[in-house]
Amino acid sequence: MNTALFDAIRRAKTLSIVGMCKNAGKTTVLNRLLAESHGRVLGLTSIGRDGESVDVVTGTEKPGIFVPEGTLIATAKDLLSLSDITQEIVCTTGIPTPLGEVVLVRARSAGSVQLAGPSITSQLRTVSDLFFSLGAEQAIIDGALGRKSLGARTVAESVILCTGASYDMRMENVVSDTANVFRVMNLKKAETVPEASELSLADVLKETGEALVPGALSDSAILPLLKSGVLKNVRLVVKDPSKVLLSPDTLDKLAIRGVSLETVEAATVLCVTVNPVSAYGWKFDPDAFKRAVQAAVNVPVINVKEAQHDLDRL
Amino acid sequence: MISIGFDDKVKIGLQYITDSLHPCSPFGVERVRKLRFYAPDERAELESELDNTDRAQKAADALGSLYEKIMLVLCQMKDVRGSINRLSEGACLDHVELFELKGFLLRVSELIPLFTRMNETVHAEGIAFSDPEGALDVLDPEHTRSRGFYIPDGASEPLRTIRREKKRLEQRLYEARTDAEKEAVRAERLRVCAGEDAEERKIRRTMCDALLPRVSAMRSDADAAGRLDVLIQKALFAKKYGGVRPEITETALELVDMVNPELVDLLNKKGRAFVPVSIAADRGATVITGANMGGKSVAMKTVALNVLLMHAGFPVCAKAARIPMFHSVKMLFDDAQSMQSGLSGFGSEIVRFNAALKDVEQGYSLFLIDELARGTNPDEGAVIVQAVTRYLNGANAISILATHYDGVAENARTHYQIIGLKDVDPDAIRVELQAAGEDGVAIIARHMNYGLYRVEGKADCPRDALNICQMLSLKPEILERIERAY
Repeated sequence: MNTALFDAIRRAKTLSIVGMCKNAGKTTVLNRLLAESHGRVLGLTSIGRDGESVDVVTGTEKPGIFVPEGTLIATAKDLLSLSDITQEIVCTTGIPTPLGEVVLVRARSAGSVQLAGPSITSQLRTVSDLFFSLGAEQAIIDGALGRKSLGARTVAESVILCTGASYDMRMENVVSDTANVFRVMNLKKAETVPEASELSLADVLKETGEALVPGALSDSAILPLLKSGVLKNVRLVVKDPSKVLLSPDTLDKLAIRGVSLETVEAATVLCVTVNPVSAYGWKFDPDAFKRAVQAAVNVPVINVKEAQHDLDRL
Repeated sequence: MISIGFDDKVKIGLQYITDSLHPCSPFGVERVRKLRFYAPDERAELESELDNTDRAQKAADALGSLYEKIMLVLCQMKDVRGSINRLSEGACLDHVELFELKGFLLRVSELIPLFTRMNETVHAEGIAFSDPEGALDVLDPEHTRSRGFYIPDGASEPLRTIRREKKRLEQRLYEARTDAEKEAVRAERLRVCAGEDAEERKIRRTMCDALLPRVSAMRSDADAAGRLDVLIQKALFAKKYGGVRPEITETALELVDMVNPELVDLLNKKGRAFVPVSIAADRGATVITGANMGGKSVAMKTVALNVLLMHAGFPVCAKAARIPMFHSVKMLFDDAQSMQSGLSGFGSEIVRFNAALKDVEQGYSLFLIDELARGTNPDEGAVIVQAVTRYLNGANAISILATHYDGVAENARTHYQIIGLKDVDPDAIRVELQAAGEDGVAIIARHMNYGLYRVEGKADCPRDALNICQMLSLKPEILERIERAY
């Protein structure tokens, strides 16, 4: 199975690494992928700022991003001086960030880099297109945290979801929220997209049995429809997973009523990684944590702290 | 010096023209945005610019694809003037700045052969590029001429050694087995990376020093790129609207069959055509009279537009044009803003008139006044406009006044009247109106001739208002009484 996972990760044209929280082990996973590139040219960027050597929020030391020679990196101009790769400036993108314009650099030596890429989906797409036109075989997007990371799915076709003890002191909360994000991220891709309509959601559903939801889908919009009985064996389509703001409970209710929640832009979560050690001082039992997450998702789960075991088998 | 506010630019259709241009380089964009009008003491420069534009326009058909190639290169230019300034102040530019400078120089070297070919026909005076090869050799010592910027290992002997050491340490890091071993290699690598950074900085410093003598050449290249960019845009503009190179005169103004592109396009969309206007005037007051819907304002705005186009070095939208160089161009057009100033419409008009007159009297000027004193009672209004006209007759300016007050034209040096419905048979239109049954005003507007004709001697009493009354079948009893009073 791990060989299959390894192949799936390699095959993904664009791969997004997203975290449930800080210190979830994103960078560990990213470094592993970079180390395993074996001469393939990778394009690397992030949604917003990432890659500080000391976590600015918690003050804990965190691993830097270490890229092999030949990697293409899209990052803000001001962060180039903090990298220790030998730089070849390939092009500028005109995309602004608070840390200067996003610049495309080729690493002419291995070394550590700091990432601050575009924060808008369309600009991320521009950057990944640039990577491919410059010969990259795979684009990796170091995703943002929490809710925002759901948006990364609209650019990347494949996702690695990272979770860890830093998310919450209680393991059951970490597991249930991770399961919920996993569930939303993995919503089915809509095969057909219903036409946008002027009518209310309830009327459209009554008439056609399916509806495209403009904007976000929230509990307060869905609960009355559930009560009225309109939502039964129908299809609800949203633009992308970030538009789903439903509680796990509501998601369950929809599933029970046979409501199919689908997205226009879809990706696949390839695996979930867990970090049982929190940056804030507490630890989970590694095996129990991994087992609990594994029970909640239907993809491989990997413990980043057992990198030599689990990640090496990747 | 001529300075035109944004509102006036919009009103006369100058903004429409600058908006319709598509300069490609940041330097061209800036030139169009901060449109500069030549002053009377820059006549030689203006003549040369008008000649350039004229030749570029005439060559536009033959050189169309060459112009496109040049535009494509210009589009890729970035504004590096900030980096050039920093360079001139002795700063050590960073990788990205040097990359952008190299990009700029590469674009210049692409531009030179294209511009040389264009210049075989166009002979553009005052636009020249300096050979960027010397500067490129500084930034790209290994002659790769690639788009990227990279300090090669061979840039200095110490750098070569440092980079080799860095590679060796990477291999050792990869091979290290224990954490302690890795830590030791990392510490050594950090030292080498710091050394690389310092050595690269030294090399960048050397590059900047070598580029310093080329600062003024690079600045003038940026300026030349902007001028070339705008020159092509002007040529394409003239091709589209039929521009002509104006002749610069001492005092006389003469525009033959001039048009206003904004109105040409607007009327085209409605399936109608703009009627070209001709006018000639010299120092003193020229008065335009005519029916209210007859386009006096359009004529004045079109004069202002074309005069300003020439002063900005553009071709003029006319069949032929003879224009003097003005110290200032002032316009007093019907203005909604006067309502906001707190004064009555009439009061603020007088305030604005006074301010404009002050500028006009600084040097030979063009003064355009639309319906002065329209906000006051007709008896006093007529007296005021007559007095203003007499005064302006003696002023060192071409003043053009549009008015429908009585007795003004006699005080002017020249008198123009809108042709209006002069040559139209009212009975024919009345028949057409009855047959069509559509909006009568629209039909009359269609028959209205917006052209001007010069009135020699005393003008006949205009009959346009009476004509309109007849066409629109005003109650016969009233019509009779009007006709008796004429």
